[in-house]
Amino acid sequence: MEKKLITLIVNDIEYELYINPKTLLVEAIRDHIGLTGTKRGCETVSCGACTVMIDDMAVKSCSVLAIQVDGRRITTSEGLEKNGVLAPIQKAFLDEGSYQCGFCTSGMLMSSEAFLKETKKPTEEQIKEAIEGNICRCTGYNSIVRAIAAVAKGKYAEVKS
Amino acid sequence: MSEQQKKPIICPVCGKKAKTGSAIDCARHMFGTGDKPHRQWVDANVKDQGESFIDLLIEQATTPGNRSYVLLAECIEKAVKDAEGK
Amino acid sequence: MNKYTVINPHEPFRVLNTHVHNIDGIAKVTGRATYTFDVKLPGMLYGKILRSPYPHAKIIKIDFSKAMEIPGVIAVVTGKDTLGVKQGIWRRYKDLCDEQILPVDKVRYIGEPVAAVAAVTEEIAEKALDYIEVEYEELPATFEPLDAIKKDAPEIHEGFERNINVTRHIEWGEVEEAFEEAEYIREDWFKCGGQAHMCMETRAAVSSYTPEGKITIYSSNQSPYYMQGLMAGVLGMREGDIRVLSQYVGGGFGGKFELDGAIFCSAILSMKTFKPVKICYTREEDFIATKRRTPMFYYTRTGVKKDGTFCAREAKVFTNGGAYTGMGATALYLTGFFHSFPYRWKGYRYDGYRVYTNTLPSTSMRGFGAPQAMWCSEQQIEWIAADLGLDPIEMRRKNSHYEGYVVPGQATIASCGIDQCYDEIRTWIKSKGKLPKDRSIGISACGFMSGGIFNWFDSPYSFSSAVVTVNNDGTVELHVGAQEIGQGSNTTMAIICAEALGVKVGDVKVHSGDTDHCPADLGAWGSRQTLMAGNATKMAAEDAKKQLLEFAYAQSGLNIVYDLDIKDSWVHAIARPERGETFEALVKRATRGKDGQRIVGRGYYTPHRKGMISPAYSYMLQGVEVEIDEETGKIRLLDSMTAHDCGQPINHLGLMGQLEGAFSMAAGYGYLEYMPFEDGKMMNPNLVDYKMIRSTEMPPANIAEIDTYEPEGPYGAKEAGEGLTNPTAAAIGNAIFHRFGVQMKECPVRPEMIVNALKEKAEKDKEAKKK
Repeated sequence: MEKKLITLIVNDIEYELYINPKTLLVEAIRDHIGLTGTKRGCETVSCGACTVMIDDMAVKSCSVLAIQVDGRRITTSEGLEKNGVLAPIQKAFLDEGSYQCGFCTSGMLMSSEAFLKETKKPTEEQIKEAIEGNICRCTGYNSIVRAIAAVAKGKYAEVKS
Repeated sequence: MSEQQKKPIICPVCGKKAKTGSAIDCARHMFGTGDKPHRQWVDANVKDQGESFIDLLIEQATTPGNRSYVLLAECIEKAVKDAEGK
Repeated sequence: MNKYTVINPHEPFRVLNTHVHNIDGIAKVTGRATYTFDVKLPGMLYGKILRSPYPHAKIIKIDFSKAMEIPGVIAVVTGKDTLGVKQGIWRRYKDLCDEQILPVDKVRYIGEPVAAVAAVTEEIAEKALDYIEVEYEELPATFEPLDAIKKDAPEIHEGFERNINVTRHIEWGEVEEAFEEAEYIREDWFKCGGQAHMCMETRAAVSSYTPEGKITIYSSNQSPYYMQGLMAGVLGMREGDIRVLSQYVGGGFGGKFELDGAIFCSAILSMKTFKPVKICYTREEDFIATKRRTPMFYYTRTGVKKDGTFCAREAKVFTNGGAYTGMGATALYLTGFFHSFPYRWKGYRYDGYRVYTNTLPSTSMRGFGAPQAMWCSEQQIEWIAADLGLDPIEMRRKNSHYEGYVVPGQATIASCGIDQCYDEIRTWIKSKGKLPKDRSIGISACGFMSGGIFNWFDSPYSFSSAVVTVNNDGTVELHVGAQEIGQGSNTTMAIICAEALGVKVGDVKVHSGDTDHCPADLGAWGSRQTLMAGNATKMAAEDAKKQLLEFAYAQSGLNIVYDLDIKDSWVHAIARPERGETFEALVKRATRGKDGQRIVGRGYYTPHRKGMISPAYSYMLQGVEVEIDEETGKIRLLDSMTAHDCGQPINHLGLMGQLEGAFSMAAGYGYLEYMPFEDGKMMNPNLVDYKMIRSTEMPPANIAEIDTYEPEGPYGAKEAGEGLTNPTAAAIGNAIFHRFGVQMKECPVRPEMIVNALKEKAEKDKEAKKK
C-alpha cells in the first residue's frame, strides 16, 4: 500500500507524517510522533485509554485512522499544560488523587477536558456519563468525578488580576 | 480405654509425634505430609479395607465429617499395638 | 458525594495521614510517565507469541523455517532454546515448580506459548506466527476439578496422582465435640468464579541481552526482585547479572509477580538475537494467557447455639488450579484461614485441595482467596441469623475477634477495631430509614493480613529493606525495594521517611523499581508493603536522624535530660522548640564531620515468630444498598458504607483511593465479571463481553475510618486495600437474600441467575401452598 503524507497538529505543533494509510491515529501519535502519554488498553474500542481530543471532541484514537484527521487539531495529555503550568483538570486530579497506576489517566483527562469545555454546570450524573467510556481498574471512578466536579464549580479558575 | 495413660503415638513412618500425640493427630500429619513414604504406608495399611491414600483424601474432601481421618487413626492405633505386641 | 468520618483519631502527625499529593502525580497526569508499554530502545525488535490451540497436547515437532524466510523476521525460539527449567514462585518446594513457560514436551492449556518470534515490526512478527508449523498430538483433557480427580482422568503433570496439586489443612479445637455442642447446624455448597486481573497495562516486557552476558529487563511487574531471582533460575544466570526495571506499572493486582510469557519470551529472544526485544500482550492475550483468580468449590458446615454463639465450622474446598501451580498454593491456604475470619470458633477445620485442570492457571488476585471465602461464609452466617431469627449484626459482633485474641495455633490479634465497625454500619443502616420496595441492604464482615510470614520464595534477604541518604542541601534519597504499582507505595514510603526524619515530603526522592540500585524486597503482594517496607523505611530514617542528631547534641551543650528533635526540617530541643537550626544547616555540619560522607541510614524488616500467616490483621464491615429489577434480575448498586480498621492511616489520599478502588473490583467479582470457559476456552476474552464496572455504575463509597494502633506496624499502621476486596460480593449476595429470600450459591451473580432463582422459589411456594 502506498504511503501518504499527512499533517497532524498535535498540542499546537505541526507534524508532517509519511505513513501507511492503515495507521490508526493512536499509532501515529505514539509510534510516529513519539508521544507516549496516550495509551492502548484493548483492541475493541472499549477501554478509552487512547482518548484524545480532536478539536474539542473526545475521541478514542484507536477508532480513527490518522489520514481521517489530516490537518485537524489534536490534543493529548501532554498538551494540557501550558509553559509548565498545569491545566485545572490536572490540578484537580492531583488534589483528589484521581489516579493510581496512571495508565488510564491520559484518556481520562482528555474525556474530562472535552466534557468540561462542553458542559458548564454539570450534574453528577452527567459527569459520570462523560467518562463512562473510560475504564479505570484502580480508582473506582469517584475521585475522578470529584475532580471534574471541582473544576466545573470553578475551584481552579484563574484569578484575574 | 485402659486405666493407664494412653502413650503418645509416634508416626510409624517418620518417628514424629504429631501435636498431642493422639492417633487422629497422627492421621492428620500423614495426610498433611503426603510424601511418598507416608503415602506408601497408608496405601499398604488400608488396602484390606478396599481403600487407598488418594481415595481417603478425596473422600475427606467431598463428604462431611471426618471418616477418612478416623479410619486412618484406627489403622495407626492397630499398627502401633501390633508392633508393641511383637 | 461521599461521607468520610474518623473514629478514635490519633494525635495528628506532621506528615502522616495528611492530605499529601501522590508523589508520582506530575509524571502521571502530564503523560510523562513511561511504562514498559512505552519503552523503546535503539535497535529494538518486536516479539509475538504463538499459542497452543489445544488444552492438552504433546508437542511433536515445530518447524519455523518458513517463518524465518519472511523479510524482517530475525529469530524464532521454542522450548528447545531454553534450559527447560521448570520454575515456580514456590521455590522451596521443587514439586510445585512446574512451569516451563515455553514448554518442551507438551502444552497444558489453550493459549500456552509454544514459540515466539522477533521481527523488525510488530506487524511482521504477527504475520510470521502463521508460518510456524507445529505438529501436536492431542491428548484427552479435563476441565473441572471434580472431573480431574476421577480415576480415569488424564494425568496433567507426571507424578501428581489424580491431578491433586496441593493440599492444605488447617484445624484447631475439638471439631467433632464443638459440633456436638451446637444446637443448629447448616451446611451449604458454593461455587466461586474466577476473575481476570484486567490491569489497564497488559503484560509487557523489553529484554536486552548484551555480549558481556548481562541482561536488562523492563517489565510491568509487582516485584523486580522476584523477577530477577526467577529469571536467574530459568536463564542459568547470576542474579547480579540481571537488571529488572519497573518504574511505572499499569496495575498488578496479584497477576504480575510471577514470570509470564512476555518477560520470558522476550528474554529468550534477546539472548538469541543480542538485540532488545519487546513483547506487549494484546488485551485478548492478557485474558486468555495470564493467570486468573482461583475458582473454588466450597462446602461449609457451621454449627451454632440457638443464641447465635458460634461453635464449629468445617470447610472442604476444591480449587480449580488450572494447568500450573503459580501462586495457587498460597490462595489455597489463605482461603481456608480467612474463611474463619473475623470470628472465634471453638472448633474449626479446613481441608483444601487444589486440582490441576487443562484450563488457564489460577493464581493470586487481590484478596488472595479471601473474597471466595467470604462469599461463602458471610452469606451462610446471614442465613443462619435468619433461620434463628437473630439480629445479623449482633450475632456477628458477639463472636468477633478482639484485641489480644489468639486464633489457636495460627495468629495473635494485636489490634482489632471491628467492634466499632459494627456500630458504624448500624448507624448507617438506621439513617436509611425504611427502604423503598425494590431496594435492600446486605452486609459483610472480614479481616485480612498485612503481609505474610512465609518465605516460600526461599529468599536469603530481609523481606524489606531501605536506605536513606541525606544530601548536603537537605534533600533525601530514599532507596526501597517496595514496588509502586499504583497503590501509592512510593508516596507512603516518602511520607513515613519524612515523618521519621522530620523533613517535608517534597524533600524526599523515592528510588524504586530498579534492582541495580534498590535493595531487595519481596514486592507488592499480600498487602505487605505498608507494614514491612514501611517498617524498614522508618528504621532507616530513624538511623539517619540519630546520626545527624549526634552532631546537634555535640554542639548543643544541652543537659543530658533534654531531647532534640527534628520537625518540619527544624532541629530543636523539644522543651524549647523556638530555638534551633534548620535541617540543612545540621546536615552540612554532619557531612563535614563525616569527612565529606553523606549520612546514610539503613533499615530492614522480616517478621519473626508472628504466627502462621501474618504479623497483623485489618478489619472491616461493609454495607451495600442494592436495587434489583425483579423482571430482569439486573442489579444496581446505589450506596455503600465501609467501616474500616487499618490501624494508623499513613497516606490519606492513597487510603481513600484504595478503599474505593477495592470496592469497584470486589463489586465486579460479585455481579459483573463473569468469565465462562467451555472445554478450556475462555468465551469472552475482550472488554465488550467481559463486564467491567463503569463510572455510571459505581455507587458512593462512604467511609468510616476506625483508628486503632497496631504495635507491629510503622506508627501503628496495617494494610488497606486488599482486605476490602473481600466483603463486597457477599454483601451483594446478602442484599439479594434480604430482598427476595433467595440464596445465591454462585458468584458472580448474573441477572438470569436471579430470575431463575425467583422462578424456582415461586414454584416451591406454589407446591408448599398445595400441601
